[in-house]
Amino acid sequence: MTVPSPTITRRPRSRFIAIVLYTLQSCVPPKRWVAVLLPCAGALLFGLLAHAVDGAADRAFANIAAEAIFGLVMPIAALVIGDSVLGAEVRAGTFQFTWLSPAPTWQIVMGRWLGGSVVALVTIAPSCALAAVIAGSPSSAGPAFLAALVGSVSYVALFIAIGCLTRRTAVWSLAFVFLIERLLGGALTGVAQLSPTWESRAIFVGYLDDPPDRLIREGIPQGGYAIVRLLIVMIVALAVANWRMGHLRLSGASD
Amino acid sequence: MSSLPPPTVPPPQYGGALDPAFVADATVEVANASVWFGPKVALSELSCSFGPGVTGLLGPNGAGKTTLMRAMVGLVSVNQGTVRIEGRDPRRDRAVHGRMALVPEDEAVPAGLTAGQFVRYVADLHGVVDREAPSNALRSVSMFDDADRNVDTFSKGMRQRTKVAAALVTDPQVLVLDEPLNGADPVQRVHLIALFKQLGALGRTVIVSSHVLNEVERLAERVVVLMHGRLAAAGGRHAIRDAMDDRPRHVLVRSNDGRRLAAGLVALESVAGVTFDTARDGLVIQTVRARELATALPRLARDSSVRLLEVRALDDSLESLFRELVR
Repeated sequence: MTVPSPTITRRPRSRFIAIVLYTLQSCVPPKRWVAVLLPCAGALLFGLLAHAVDGAADRAFANIAAEAIFGLVMPIAALVIGDSVLGAEVRAGTFQFTWLSPAPTWQIVMGRWLGGSVVALVTIAPSCALAAVIAGSPSSAGPAFLAALVGSVSYVALFIAIGCLTRRTAVWSLAFVFLIERLLGGALTGVAQLSPTWESRAIFVGYLDDPPDRLIREGIPQGGYAIVRLLIVMIVALAVANWRMGHLRLSGASD
Repeated sequence: MSSLPPPTVPPPQYGGALDPAFVADATVEVANASVWFGPKVALSELSCSFGPGVTGLLGPNGAGKTTLMRAMVGLVSVNQGTVRIEGRDPRRDRAVHGRMALVPEDEAVPAGLTAGQFVRYVADLHGVVDREAPSNALRSVSMFDDADRNVDTFSKGMRQRTKVAAALVTDPQVLVLDEPLNGADPVQRVHLIALFKQLGALGRTVIVSSHVLNEVERLAERVVVLMHGRLAAAGGRHAIRDAMDDRPRHVLVRSNDGRRLAAGLVALESVAGVTFDTARDGLVIQTVRARELATALPRLARDSSVRLLEVRALDDSLESLFRELVR
């Protein structure tokens, strides 16, 4: 094997840092970046579209952002990220290299989530803020950035949890977004209160100077309260992912 | 580790002798393990153990080798029974992952990383402090020169060797290798076999699966044979080979003078019968002592001035050997 030689020791990179860097480097390859950037480009197009809506730019963008950006662009972009950082790797059969290490499961879950959150931070959040600027509503850029950031990192946590619960992460994640959040969340306030789409919209609306009345939904906390609500959702999702991570059955790519 | 915990299941004794499926100094213990995926039973009430040295895990495709190996390291939970590594459950005790490594069979390697980055990542996960360890691991499988190349661009054999390097960088006490020689060229095969044997000689528990009998024979002193998720045979490689050699076999021999060769063959003790196969245009020899026949046949051909055109075992597929073993 190796020729015995004097051992040169180094301080190993911490497991957590290694997992975060690996997530950024390997889990989100160039093709996945493109898949994330496409919906982000869609956000910019929706910003342009706001010019076609009658009324003040602020109100026009608020309506467009609430429906299209937080209801469509953000979930899809976050789904691509959330699936990349865990589900895709489990399906490909490469996650076992991480799982088969003495690293605690919480470090793996948090490392993956942080890596995904960094991607969301540099893609989804800025594109939503830029959309506000393009729409001629620079005062909405801050709330849009904040709402997109909190919403997308919550989504990443949720999609990681789904990735730990099922092999078909993308399918179940889509079902979560469109069936549970859009359909059920649209009808039931109790479901909407736990939904990143509805809560990020509430964050955005809560920080606007003059939000349109139709965007204020009864029973959904606004602004900072919505942030707290999403943080709780995120923590619960990460806890579920951590619990399930130890029970994953990794039967390989060929199965 | 100062001392190992006591084995969870005492190895069965038969008339004072240890059951060949078990070893006295077990580091990996499988007790009554069953694994199923929906209606498909992959392992069925399997009990065996593995200790220091190289053990071959032999079986045809679908025998349950991969499932057993994945269960050993904790990637797959057993539905019934137990699997222990150094007395610890690899599903529950993540610390034991620091003592073992798996080289999976499938070709998948992390995308977007160079071989060096991949091995370094595994080293970091395991808290390896030797700065040279990743380079040494790559060197040990002759991949050091390709350390800066992206693993996506590697051939199957190179990917396999990179995964071996990633396993070796953690300096594991238990090394589980699922078909590690797949895709390797002949030179690399020799090199890898020598490497695994060396690790076994150093007291590591090395478990190597293969569906190629000759490959396992070159690697391992002890062989465990699986068939349909069950233990078919276990023991020293010679005992397994003898068990396989002593069963009736059919060998096709084509020559330039079949009649003269047949006359000589019937006089050989190793030959139980000779028939002429018109479809194959050759002689079919039935023997229960294939090894003796392998020595006697060329001698007979030389003495009879017969030129052998083809000698081929008709039922020498591993599947047929296993069928004999489990009969």
